[in-house]
Amino acid sequence: MTRECSLLLPRVCAALADPRQPGSDDTCLEKLLDWFRLLTKFDPGVELLQNNPCLTEFITSMLALPEPSPSILSFTLRLAGILAASENCFQHLQQEQLLVRLFGRDGPLNSALWKDASVRSGWVNGVHSMMRHQPALHLLCHGGGIDVIFTLQGDSSLFVSSAASQLLVDMLILSVETETTKPVSTKDCDWPACAQMIIKHIEDSLQSSSASHIEQSLKLLTNLFGSCRAPWTEVLWLNIAKQIESFLMEDTVQAQHMLADLLLRMAWSPVFCDSEGSFWTLVTSALERLTPVQAGPLAVGLLKLYKCPQDVRIQALTVLLQPMDCILRAASQPLEYTGLLDESVSDPITVEGLLSSKSSCASLLCQTLAQLEELLSTFREEKTFRDLPCASLLRSIMTILQLCNGFLSPASPLGSTLSRILINCFRVQRSALDVLAELSDLRGCDTLIGSLFDVLLAYLESPNTNPTVLKKAFQATCKWLVRLQELSYSNSQWQHTEKILKDVFLVLQKRLCSPCWEVRDSSLEFLTDMIKCLSDQDEFRQSLLSSEVPRLTENLLEDPESYVRASAVTAVGHLAFIAYFAPESPVTGNQYNKENTAAKLQEILSTDPEGFPRRAVISIFIEWLSQGCTGQLEDTGQFVSRVIQTVQHDLDWEVRLGGLELIQDFCHQTFCQLGLPQRPDDPVSSAVTSSIRESESLQIFCRAKLFSFLFRSLCDCDKTLGQRACRILLDLSNHFYPLGTPRDLDETVDLPVRHSIACLQRTLRQGSLAQNFPTDGVDFEDPESMMLALGTIDLIELYDELNKSSDHVEKSPQSLLQDILATVGTVEENEADCY
Amino acid sequence: SVFCWGAGAGQDVGRSCILVSIAGKNVMLDCGMHMGYNDDRRFPDFSYITQNGRLTDFLDCVIISHFHLDHCGALPYFSEMVGYDGPIYMTHPTKAICPILLEDYRKITVDKKGEINFFTSQMIKDCMKKVVAVHLHQTVQVDEELEIKAYYAGHVLGAAMFQIKVGCESVVYTGDYNMTPDRHLGAAWIDKCRPDLLISESTYATTIRDSKRCRERDFLKKVHETVERGGKVLIPVFALGRAQELCILLETFWERMNLKAPIYFSTGLTEKANHYYKLFITWTNQKIRKTFVQRNMFEFKHIKAFDRAFADNPGPMVVFATPGMLHAGQSLQIFKKWAGNEKNMVIMPGYCVQGTVGHKILSGQRKLEMEGRQILEVKMQVEYMSFSAHADAKGIMQLIRQAEPRNVLLVHGEAKKMEFLKQKIEQEFHVNCYMPANGETTTIFTNPSIPVDISLGLLKRETAIGLLPDVKKPQLMHGTLIMKDNSFRLVSPEQALKELGLAEHQLRFTCRVHIQDPRKEHETVLRVYNHLKGVLKDYSVQHLPDGSITVESILIQATAHSEDQGTKVLLVSWTYQDEELGSYLTSLLKKGLPPSTS
Repeated sequence: MTRECSLLLPRVCAALADPRQPGSDDTCLEKLLDWFRLLTKFDPGVELLQNNPCLTEFITSMLALPEPSPSILSFTLRLAGILAASENCFQHLQQEQLLVRLFGRDGPLNSALWKDASVRSGWVNGVHSMMRHQPALHLLCHGGGIDVIFTLQGDSSLFVSSAASQLLVDMLILSVETETTKPVSTKDCDWPACAQMIIKHIEDSLQSSSASHIEQSLKLLTNLFGSCRAPWTEVLWLNIAKQIESFLMEDTVQAQHMLADLLLRMAWSPVFCDSEGSFWTLVTSALERLTPVQAGPLAVGLLKLYKCPQDVRIQALTVLLQPMDCILRAASQPLEYTGLLDESVSDPITVEGLLSSKSSCASLLCQTLAQLEELLSTFREEKTFRDLPCASLLRSIMTILQLCNGFLSPASPLGSTLSRILINCFRVQRSALDVLAELSDLRGCDTLIGSLFDVLLAYLESPNTNPTVLKKAFQATCKWLVRLQELSYSNSQWQHTEKILKDVFLVLQKRLCSPCWEVRDSSLEFLTDMIKCLSDQDEFRQSLLSSEVPRLTENLLEDPESYVRASAVTAVGHLAFIAYFAPESPVTGNQYNKENTAAKLQEILSTDPEGFPRRAVISIFIEWLSQGCTGQLEDTGQFVSRVIQTVQHDLDWEVRLGGLELIQDFCHQTFCQLGLPQRPDDPVSSAVTSSIRESESLQIFCRAKLFSFLFRSLCDCDKTLGQRACRILLDLSNHFYPLGTPRDLDETVDLPVRHSIACLQRTLRQGSLAQNFPTDGVDFEDPESMMLALGTIDLIELYDELNKSSDHVEKSPQSLLQDILATVGTVEENEADCY
Repeated sequence: SVFCWGAGAGQDVGRSCILVSIAGKNVMLDCGMHMGYNDDRRFPDFSYITQNGRLTDFLDCVIISHFHLDHCGALPYFSEMVGYDGPIYMTHPTKAICPILLEDYRKITVDKKGEINFFTSQMIKDCMKKVVAVHLHQTVQVDEELEIKAYYAGHVLGAAMFQIKVGCESVVYTGDYNMTPDRHLGAAWIDKCRPDLLISESTYATTIRDSKRCRERDFLKKVHETVERGGKVLIPVFALGRAQELCILLETFWERMNLKAPIYFSTGLTEKANHYYKLFITWTNQKIRKTFVQRNMFEFKHIKAFDRAFADNPGPMVVFATPGMLHAGQSLQIFKKWAGNEKNMVIMPGYCVQGTVGHKILSGQRKLEMEGRQILEVKMQVEYMSFSAHADAKGIMQLIRQAEPRNVLLVHGEAKKMEFLKQKIEQEFHVNCYMPANGETTTIFTNPSIPVDISLGLLKRETAIGLLPDVKKPQLMHGTLIMKDNSFRLVSPEQALKELGLAEHQLRFTCRVHIQDPRKEHETVLRVYNHLKGVLKDYSVQHLPDGSITVESILIQATAHSEDQGTKVLLVSWTYQDEELGSYLTSLLKKGLPPSTS
């Protein structure tokens, strides 16, 4: 703690304890606790309390108040808990019985204030913070506090009840791990006293007839097995396993929904997953007995588990694939059905029942599809997924999508029910398209690719497609187009690919003219994505450029919606790559002309009233530059110069930042093209030629008018810009003055120049408060002046200054203490009035 | 049930987020952020909604009441980072303006160092694409059962109250609202929709405030005085909302007083903001709509765009600059330049979080530590002026009177201070009023009347036996209730069997009666037969050749007790139709047989 803070703290404590003062804002109290948490973490010694007696006094005076405010009392409880987290401090506070009085029977928990949820929350959090050592454990267990925690598990406030549950878990772990002298074993269950109390409570609750008690204990066990992987957890489990099993087998208590989570957490614990037999038997029967909705999360969790036994794995996969299997079965002719599942393992009656009910069908499908997507994305890298019948799964997804848009109305009873329920169901469409996109990464689905595009195109074409669904359909289409290209390489199915691409562009043309901005925007994003993934494919480029898409995209540069204009800029920028930047670009009509496009984008950059399109332009320019699309050094210099002139006065700091990025890339490229080393210590070919090129590069930079913008940015009110500009200038300075080179050029430079650079340095020191920038007399285009500026201005000092976080004052504890003190005595409350 | 994450007590602001479960549907009302934190505490902890399972599957929809960040600030986080993929509803102006504010806040946030876990521009856009915009008073069908409807709420442009209805149960959520019209917006209005629950904000329920006119007069006086003595006035604002109201105020005042000092609005946001005010003119109040024909109130004559170089110009001026809490960017830069001159003034029209320069100067601090340990001495005048539009206790009562809810739930207020209002509501309207703490779930029981369709066949049958329908006399009607796809129908049993393709089964009730009789079984049967014949004169009692007795559908058989030959067991069974007779007969037999006459 700094001296300033320790001087302020007593006054702050006094103010907080003063009941006449209006309550401090909760955020201040929270931040104060954050600070104490940090202090005690780095220095757990008792010095904090000894050096700041005001803290103990504060707690004492709060205890003496007949009717403290609930928020300050809650703060006190939490503060005391944080302070008592170290054993020394605990003992120190206990000298005056402060902790007993706060957390014991006669404390707040027996007062009228206990009714206030914030006080109960403060109590639980306080206890939780100090629960790091045995004395704290004893204070609670022997002082009757543990019963309070048991009760709080069922608190009306969810914040309190979940904190109480987690607290019991941590107490149990603490007790077993600090109080046992010999390892706990199955034969000799010699639990330490506190652990015994908690375990007995768990056992009693599980045996009780109260559903809420059972639920609380199951939740506690779930948390425990999820966070503690010690061998003793198995001993505890053996005591209760029978009871848990009975919840699964008998329907007397409605606890099944919690069992899936419990078993999953256990399966992830090495204690149980390495065990043989009984645990996995229980898991298997859970997969069989729980409803498909309850078993789904368990199944997906198990499939992600590396050590899951094969038979359990198959069972889990069956749970996930069962609904898909039913769909396929319902939609196929009896003889042509080749299912997802072996008929011997599938028992479709329950699932069919759920699918044929309107209330459960969509939710079961959405859940299953989401789980499949989760699973596929987990194994995306591996490209294959053991045991998964990819082609059949793809077929089932396609079937769902066709049921949803009315393209399929099967004759079977379940099939016709499904088509009635699912028609226009956006929820299912969204989830199915997500899985479809994921499936493109797996091998083994390729035979269906033709009919797959029929399904996707139907979605892209249909006017009924909801905008979110359309976006997902675009994403899936893009991924499958990439797959299609890979396939046509190997299969030479050019014609087929060409047809699909033609259809896609036809539909895209229509969508680009949609009245709904969301659709136009998603269409443009889709176009950009396609170009990014497929630009090296000839037939893609041909199809795109021969379609109307490029023209329509250019039209959208004038869209009324700024989001769309921005996406159009990005798309046009990428179109340029294939239209005329690529060496093998096909010759097209003169409407696609490099200069025209650049001029259009440049115009948007200087005139568009909104930030998004301007930001998009600068990003595209950066991309063009980095891809070497801006021509020779001379042309590039002029291009950069034009852009910089436009962006340096932009109102949007992100556009200005883009300008700086462009400069950075340009400098980098210039050095490269002139054959100069990137870093000062890189080897140089010849000192003489190098020096000539150095001066050439400096001249190029000056001609491009970079320096005026760079130096001006150092004083920008948006600090990020100053930092970036300073970094670039530092790099340039290090480049032109390699280590050991004298920086003092005073001898060779004219006096007025020296004078103007000194003046510039003074201006820069004022930072964002500088007036009348640029300083009179500085010639930012004069290489000599700029060389002097780079050599003499202390950029390192400036950089350090700029790198101080702009909110370091805001975050400092001293500022917080001052703010709390400043509000003391303000009679008039400023009403909460927010934006 | 209703669950609120909510903000803290005192003057804490933020994180309006309520989860309502109504008739099996789950709806999230608002998704706000807390601007006082830089870590994950700024967003509601959504893990409380569902421990396992996806939010998209759990929630049926999200509704945003208006564009203030404490009501929508966590939305991109929720939809793009937590992964909610379902529908989001808000009014058209809110959909248009929300991204501007989110973008504004994102830019300020990422400008600072150490900010992680924050959404990007792309995320804001992707989130807005999921939004379905609604019109006022348009009933929007979220799915087949759930419908929502927006009502005008005043407060800010596009603010709405929402009615959420499932079947015959409904909830109204007010968001922030204002029952008195102000300079550019009208007063909130709702029809007598009699919801089961009204969830009302109560920010100003316990605050007594000067009339808004007084505050406005005070504001104009202060600005005028400063400008007159050659000083500069800085008004830090966020891009939208308060700023427009103050612009109208100053514009008309400048016009009336023929003032010449320039008024500037910084960062180019004003055009876009004003553009939306023009676009959504129907959402403003009547006066603005009327004058719109002659002159658009939002086309300002005196207010010009600000260039950063203007800050150093000599002479008086008024500048609106963002952000509103003086914690970064242009407003802070101008403040630093002007703070040293006592002729100047800064007017803070809104809430500032702890740590910001705005918060510090409002709490009276005059020596501020800036970056690089420099001390900035604040000599300029500092004024706080709240113009926010919330309903006060009177307004809340007025809304309850309008909507006539069956229960009221107050959010956004301090329990202790609110006790008075709660009592008043309960006394005046005879309804329950709840004030749950954050994290507490309130459950309200409704008595839904469930509509049931009756088949024509059944109705005809009832009238055929002479029971004509009469509105005043409720009738008891027997039939079979079929529940299918959340609808109920009462049909005749025959029709039910036919529809469901089921076969009829006869249900027989059986009962064993023990009788002390040492005689042979057939003799006991004969005694029973004679007894029944004597008692049940109007019924046909038969003694069958197999030794059993029948009375209508009732069948009686006798056997000897396996262990005690002196006891005979009579097995009595009857169908549902003869339930009454069966029970009577059993009780008769249980009393024993009359002494034998033979």
